[in-house]
Order: sequence, then structure tokens, then C-alpha cells
Amino acid sequence: MRWASYLLLTLLVVFPAGKAAATQDEAAAQALVRNLGDEAIELLRETSASSAGTVAGVRDLFRTSFDVPTIGQFALGRHWRTATDAQRQEYLALFEDMVVETYARRFEGYDNQTFVVDGSRPEGERDVMVRSRILDPNGPPVEVNWRVRDRGAGNLQIIDVMVEGVSMAVTQRNEFSSIIQRNGGNIDALLQAIRDQIASLRAGG
Amino acid sequence: MGGCAATDTVDGDGYGEVYDPIEPVNRVIFAGNEVVDTILIRPVAEAYRDYFPEPLQNRARDILRHLRSPLILANELMQGDFEGAGNVLARFVINSIAGLGGFIDVANHNGQGIPFENEDFGQTLAVWGVDAGPYLVIPIIGPSNARDAAGLVVETLADPIGIWARFADSAVLDGFQYGRLGLSIIDARARTISALDEVRATSVDFYATMRSLYSQFREAEIRDGEIEQDIPDIPDYTDFEDESEEPVTTEPARGDEVSELPPVPRLDLRPDVNR
Repeated sequence: MRWASYLLLTLLVVFPAGKAAATQDEAAAQALVRNLGDEAIELLRETSASSAGTVAGVRDLFRTSFDVPTIGQFALGRHWRTATDAQRQEYLALFEDMVVETYARRFEGYDNQTFVVDGSRPEGERDVMVRSRILDPNGPPVEVNWRVRDRGAGNLQIIDVMVEGVSMAVTQRNEFSSIIQRNGGNIDALLQAIRDQIASLRAGG
Repeated sequence: MGGCAATDTVDGDGYGEVYDPIEPVNRVIFAGNEVVDTILIRPVAEAYRDYFPEPLQNRARDILRHLRSPLILANELMQGDFEGAGNVLARFVINSIAGLGGFIDVANHNGQGIPFENEDFGQTLAVWGVDAGPYLVIPIIGPSNARDAAGLVVETLADPIGIWARFADSAVLDGFQYGRLGLSIIDARARTISALDEVRATSVDFYATMRSLYSQFREAEIRDGEIEQDIPDIPDYTDFEDESEEPVTTEPARGDEVSELPPVPRLDLRPDVNR
């Protein structure tokens, strides 16, 4: 029976970790991104007049499609470890508010762009990178890649967005880290800066 | 020659910060550039974008790119990218003849054909293994780093029309080069007005955001737009008490990837946090 286990081992090495399963994950990840694009465009049509409706709609999309705590924790970097529980909770709530206000604002610049999903590939051990393009009638297409984490049982969430090779999560992390460093390692200074930023975005900044 | 030349790994997870040892000086230059941009460059670029006929804007962009062809070709060859070199050469020949001396990018008409790809000596140095070095903000030009600034100097000296102008000692050629430089700045700025306005309005620390964007964008250019392979992991959200040393994982470990991070428990605590 020994040769049988060797054969099994060889098969496992040569055909690692179920190719069919990976393809299925990728299809699900692509569907998630495509669906997000469709819902976003639907939201643009419905709420073009009301900015309050846009903010609520964006928050809804963000919560269902994105893993906000994972992105938020990543964006705080090593300072997450030193933050108190109260700071973490407040930070995550403020982080969500800020991202929602930021994207609601971007919706206002909508000008008949369309969205196509081009494909995907596995990323690391547990993620799928979905490739897409935003086609602008007045300019060159923008390449947007979505990093989707699959936690099994149809539970997929976006954990990063890469625009023309630039990771939004890394950009946010570098910015937050700079703010904390310039304030002598004080996380509360970052929280205050985010509060100010949310207020300025709400004021139509 | 790691994949993250622009970022060091102070956090030990591959997502360190941009190396910026002279940040106070850079911030002063950055603020100065903001002033020059606000009172001079941006208004001119905006007028150019809004009032200069769009077909002529496109001809200007095409000829500016065409004039860079010799430098791009040299860089493709120095990077060992022979397919890229072939593309530059094909574009140059097609656009010189059918594109009326480079005024019309017929080689890439309506996004069909051979697209323009920018290469410069900073990218070549990166392909050769030179690290980005300290982040620098250059007066007027803006975000850069030691490697890219060196690349810029070399390109300026090696530009064939520039060399010709220096040897010919002709006022016409000098004027042409100054006009070309000015047009390059206005053309580049005109195409980034709305994007930069957006970044400015939505960032908490504009300087830090631009520093991060520049470094990542250059890394993407160096990779020629390929998606980065083996990008570092983003750890799952975990609450403080759950950061135990005990590895909790349902996946069999694979030998080919070495992770710096202990596996983290996959606990989704969102309902407690957000609602």
C-alpha cells in the first residue's frame, strides 16, 4: 500500500489544491465585482439628485461588498497593536465614515463611464485578483483590480482596490502612518484628523 | 532586487513606508510647488484643457511622445525588453510616415494598435537593480526619488535634439527645446487636473498621499503594468485578545511560501464594531 500513498502524494503535488475549486472561487469573485459595478451604476441613476441618498447607498454597498474591519486594521498598520480597544472601535467607525464620504463624493463626478470585468487570477493563498477597466468616453480607460478574499461558503469580500497599480489600502496606510508619526505616535491625533476630514467632505470640500 | 524597491520593510510585512530622510526639506519644497502650481501652472493647464481645441491637444501630445521615441527605444534596449523595443521602432516608423512626422499617432488609433508605453532611465536603473533611494520633491517637477532624479538628468543630457541644439548653437533649436519643455509640463498637468484635485480634496495629509502614490505608481511603471506577483498578504481583521501565539488554521501549510506573520484566527467581529 505504500506505493499507493506515494502515488497519492505525487498527485497532490502535481495537481495542487483543486484547480476546479479555484476556478469556481474566481467566478464568484468576478461575479461579486460585476455585481458591485452594476449596483453602483444603479445607485447613480436612482440618487443623482439627493446626496444624502448617495451616502446611505454607498455605505450599504461598502458594508456588503468590502471587509471594512480588515481594511481598516491594515490601514492603521503597526499602530493597531498599540491602540486601545476604545481607540480601535472609534477608529473603525471613523474610517468607514471617511471612505463612504470619499466615494459618495466621487459618485458626483460620474459622467457615463462604463465598467467591464476582464478576468481574474489567484492572489496568494486565499485571495483572487479581479481585473476590470472603467471606460471613460472622454479619456483613456482606467485599470482597476479588486483583491477579493474568499472565506468559503460563498462569503467573499473585497479587501483592496488597485487603481493603475496603486493600492488604495497601502496609500491609506502610508498616509495614516505619516500623520501618527508627525504627532509623536499619538493615535488620537489621527482620529481627530479623520474627524476633520469627514466634516470637510460633508461640507462639500 | 525585491518587488518593493520603493518601500522598505520596517513593519516586517512588506508594506513599509517610503524612505524619506529629508522629509522636512521635501515638505517645504512641496509647499512651494503648490504655490507655483496654484498661481501659474494649474491656471495655464486649465485654460489649455478647456479652450485649446481638443484635436490640437491630441496632436501636441502625439508629437511630444514621438520626440521621446529615441530615448524610449534606448531604454527598452537597456532593459532587455526587445518586444518593447520593436514596438517603439514600429510606432516611430508608422507615425513618422503615415502620421505626418509624428503629429498623429496612427499606430494606436482609437486604442487599437500598438499603445504608447513610457520608459525612462529611472525605470532602466530600477530594472538594473538600483533602489529608489531617498524620496525627493524637486522644485517645479514635484515628487521623485534619488534614482529617478538621476535618470532625469541622464535623459536631459542624452536627448538627441538637446545634443543637436547644444552643438548647432542655434537660437531656433534652443527655442524649440524650451517650447517643448513648456508644452510637456502643460500637457502633463492638463491631464491630471481633475485627478489631483480629487486626491487633494480626499486626503488628510496631501504630502504623504502623493509620496505614497508616486512610489507605487513608479513601481507599477517599472513592472510595465503587469500585476505585481507575490504581493504581501493583508492579514484578516482580528480583535486584540485573539492575537494568540497558537496558530489556528484550517489550511494545510505549503512549503513554497514563507510568511512572516503567524496565522491569525479568522474571526469576523463586524457586528460588534459597526452596528
